[in-house]
Amino acid sequence: MSHHPTRKLTVFALDPSVKSRGKILRTQIEILNEYLGAGPRGHRVFVVDYDSSTDRFRTPAQLPKPVEGQPPEDPFASLSDRELLASPDFHAFMCFAIVMKTLARFEFALGRRLSWSFPSHQLQVAPHAFSDANAFYSDSANGLFFGYFPSKDGKRIVHTCLSHEIVAHETTHALLDGLRERYTDASSAQQAGFHEGFADIVALLSILSAQSIVEKVVDLGLPGAADGTLRRASVTVDALKMSGLFGLAQEMGSELAGVHGNALRRSVGLPPNKDYLTSADCDEPHRCGEVLVAAVLNAYLGIWVKRLQALGDESRLDRSRAAEEGAQLAEHLLNVCIRAIDYCPPTDILFGDFASALLTVDAELNPGDTRYELRAGLLRTFANYGIVPTAKGQPGRQEGSWDPPPPQAKFVYDRTHFENMKSDPDELFRFLWENRDAFKLHDQAHTRVLSVRACTRIGRDGFTLRETVVEYHQSLILFARELYTLKIRQPDGMPDDTKVTLYGGNAVIFDEYGHVKYNIGKSIMDADRQTERLGHLWRQGAYDKGASKARAFSRLHLRRNTAWYRSVPAGSPPAIQE
Amino acid sequence: MAAAPVSLTIRMFNVGFGDCFLLTFNYAAGPRHMLVDFGSTSAPRRGKKKDYMLRVAQKIKEICGDKLHIVVATHRHRDHISGFATGTGTGEIIAQLNPDGVIQPWTEDPRARARALTARSSVYVRGKAKGDMTAHFLGSLEDMHRVADAVTRFADREDLAGKQTRAQLRFLGSDNLRNESAVKNLMRMGRRGKAWYVNAGMKLNLLPGVKCTVLGPPTLQQSNEIRSLRSRDPGEFWQFRNFWAAQSMALGTSWQVPAKPRTPEGADTATAHAGGTAQPPPPGVRWFINQSRQIQADQMLGLVRDLDDVMNNTSVILLLEVGKKKILLPGDAQIENWAYALSKPHWQQLLTDVNVYKVGHHGSRNATPKRLWNLFKHAGEAPDEQRIQTLCSTRSGKHGSVGSGTEVPRRLLVEELKAKSNFTSSEEAEDTFCSVTTVNFQEGA
Repeated sequence: MSHHPTRKLTVFALDPSVKSRGKILRTQIEILNEYLGAGPRGHRVFVVDYDSSTDRFRTPAQLPKPVEGQPPEDPFASLSDRELLASPDFHAFMCFAIVMKTLARFEFALGRRLSWSFPSHQLQVAPHAFSDANAFYSDSANGLFFGYFPSKDGKRIVHTCLSHEIVAHETTHALLDGLRERYTDASSAQQAGFHEGFADIVALLSILSAQSIVEKVVDLGLPGAADGTLRRASVTVDALKMSGLFGLAQEMGSELAGVHGNALRRSVGLPPNKDYLTSADCDEPHRCGEVLVAAVLNAYLGIWVKRLQALGDESRLDRSRAAEEGAQLAEHLLNVCIRAIDYCPPTDILFGDFASALLTVDAELNPGDTRYELRAGLLRTFANYGIVPTAKGQPGRQEGSWDPPPPQAKFVYDRTHFENMKSDPDELFRFLWENRDAFKLHDQAHTRVLSVRACTRIGRDGFTLRETVVEYHQSLILFARELYTLKIRQPDGMPDDTKVTLYGGNAVIFDEYGHVKYNIGKSIMDADRQTERLGHLWRQGAYDKGASKARAFSRLHLRRNTAWYRSVPAGSPPAIQE
Repeated sequence: MAAAPVSLTIRMFNVGFGDCFLLTFNYAAGPRHMLVDFGSTSAPRRGKKKDYMLRVAQKIKEICGDKLHIVVATHRHRDHISGFATGTGTGEIIAQLNPDGVIQPWTEDPRARARALTARSSVYVRGKAKGDMTAHFLGSLEDMHRVADAVTRFADREDLAGKQTRAQLRFLGSDNLRNESAVKNLMRMGRRGKAWYVNAGMKLNLLPGVKCTVLGPPTLQQSNEIRSLRSRDPGEFWQFRNFWAAQSMALGTSWQVPAKPRTPEGADTATAHAGGTAQPPPPGVRWFINQSRQIQADQMLGLVRDLDDVMNNTSVILLLEVGKKKILLPGDAQIENWAYALSKPHWQQLLTDVNVYKVGHHGSRNATPKRLWNLFKHAGEAPDEQRIQTLCSTRSGKHGSVGSGTEVPRRLLVEELKAKSNFTSSEEAEDTFCSVTTVNFQEGA
């Protein structure tokens, strides 16, 4: 009996407005060949084609039955653009394939299965959720929702589910929420911006991993010759940025920009400036997130151009080879970005934490860094955008990377069993409790092990890395008048009887011998951090009655789209202090 | 030169949830009248509900005799202008009083609106558009009216949301409808007399001895002065423009799928996009379907709240000065509107000794910014003659919710106003058809 572990499905490489020779640019993506139910309904993703605007549930889509001995068919490969645009089955499968591909990217990068943040194994996806210019992830509904709306001329329907970028972006929100469930808590502007920025980074690098798209960027940015070669002198960061990526951004559906903005255009167009993160602009989460996206994309461009200098002869280089190099770099950088999440603190993330996580994880997996000189490129570009790694990096180790625990932190290992700790949160909690002084836990706080994950990762240079990644979280509810007991300053004007919740938590990386290799996070007892966080939240009105303690992505998207209107200085808070 | 008025009588009519203030300036030679808003979305709780707006209009006529001098329509919300609509008699009565002038925000200028009609979403592509930014902003306001219209229809769908959510959708949706009849009547009245379409910084010569400074709404250029550099990126504006155009297209057209779907040849029409089958959903998806409905209702509420804010911020803010007395009439202006005025030190100075404050937006928490309230030197605990008078026309239980801290009027604001001003609320005097406040302009008063 023939066995085909994967199958290929046709999807739009970007969105229906991006064309090549008059045809919508397509790509085939490879996903797991699983036994799908109608919907399609797979083991992790389940498409429900319900439209709440018309109260209509559409017949679930199904793939043709497999033919014995034949590889699985791609039923959409032979359809015309017009047929694909009009086919709800294609819409359902395109969504399904991109969600599954994004999930697979995360699982590959992290070396383990991932869970959603909600109590279900299956993420539900509504490709035609409503007539509304919006698309979002909702943890309370266990799903992704993609709206549709008429085009400006009213002659056709614009489907958000047909934008590769939007589907990958929303899926990343769901995956990041599964990995770091406390990142939706009200915290700093940077934590709010991180979800959006990271989702944009994953979506854009996913798109740039497709060679057909990178070829398009090359064609737009670099004048080529008829023989398929490029003039070496024309290969510059500016040409690829301003003509290539910006040109691609211009082609992407302007109508879809009314839904999600245009992350590519915004990030490419954001000139380096070290003061962004300290400006009032960055109180708005999307603006703040754009700084991170711009730093990563500019690092990508710089490294790509540097790689191209090593290719071809003195005057020319091959166009396809240049594109292949760009696609491979995007894939590599994407893997590093995803892996970095394991090395990020579980609560109150700042961009500097993400920078340190990137540098640490890449140094772990790719110590030589000879091919891309990725870390040097990241450090340089991040500095240009004012993103400074949280850690300095000890002498002899990678600059900006996390430090191992200090020698004076003596962990007690002999009261727990590491084999059990690899999978059992209770055993792990015992380890934390026995070592609560070394972990700087507050013994009055509620402490919970959020996850215990055993991972196996293969680095580019052939190193195999076996680690156990653990996340724990602490929360402590105090009255404002009690804050001084932890040396935390009560925000000016905050009434004494206001209840405030302090958060803390760490990601602990155990090596294959069961020793603590990294202990990355934010102690609940860090008075300076808590003072700054409470002050920010108080100024933002997070303690007003009715203010949401967590962020709904649907609302965040609405705020982004109307941000221009609200971008006058807030003037002042209301007359009444609540 | 005509003498200044000796006193002012402010009549706050109880129109339920809405505003209707008749300001009568008493001169030695006789009174002159200024009507500031005349609208309602919900009848007063007590008294005769039927024809209550007609009775208010008749009372205004009775007070004014044959002449109303100035009409102010602060912004295009039903709870501020519905009484100007014709057909039920109220708008006709006001028009018969032949106002000399009509004041409206610059967003209502028919010349600007004409430009907005050419700045429809279909004529711009990728951020390049015909028409200037102002015209496109007005185009967005038009889009918002269409969205409001769709939301009002949506509120009738019982399957999609609970009673409370639908009531909020209906209330906010209907307040933001185009109110065409009232707008046309105001325009006609303006054509017959003088029409002022105002923006921050203008000084109006309305009545003898009455200085009138317009503190809002700012024009887009004025707002831009206080925006940060990044916010002045044209892309930010186009995203806003695109968004409302897309919402208007999505929601303002039809809830029904096209009757004749385009399907590829040979495709199964039963599963084609536009049509599909209306088969009953299997049990495994019913929970998700219910979630989808609730989420869409929440989305709608978010949209309509946002556009309600934008409309409120087109409110005219007037500061009237007679001698040393000042009367502040901010309509429903919220923080984004106030931000421009409060950025000007000389206006801050001007606002310090306001004597009468019409409480912004029926007492909502966002319409009385702290920086404004703290400027009022006559606000204080001691109930003396100099203490600021605050007038609030409102009806609770209609806008926002106590649970979310968005109820109008906001309880805590009302407590603050009661503690630090001579506070009059139409709701608390709900048996009164009209509350009267007098301001004496004579020396020593």
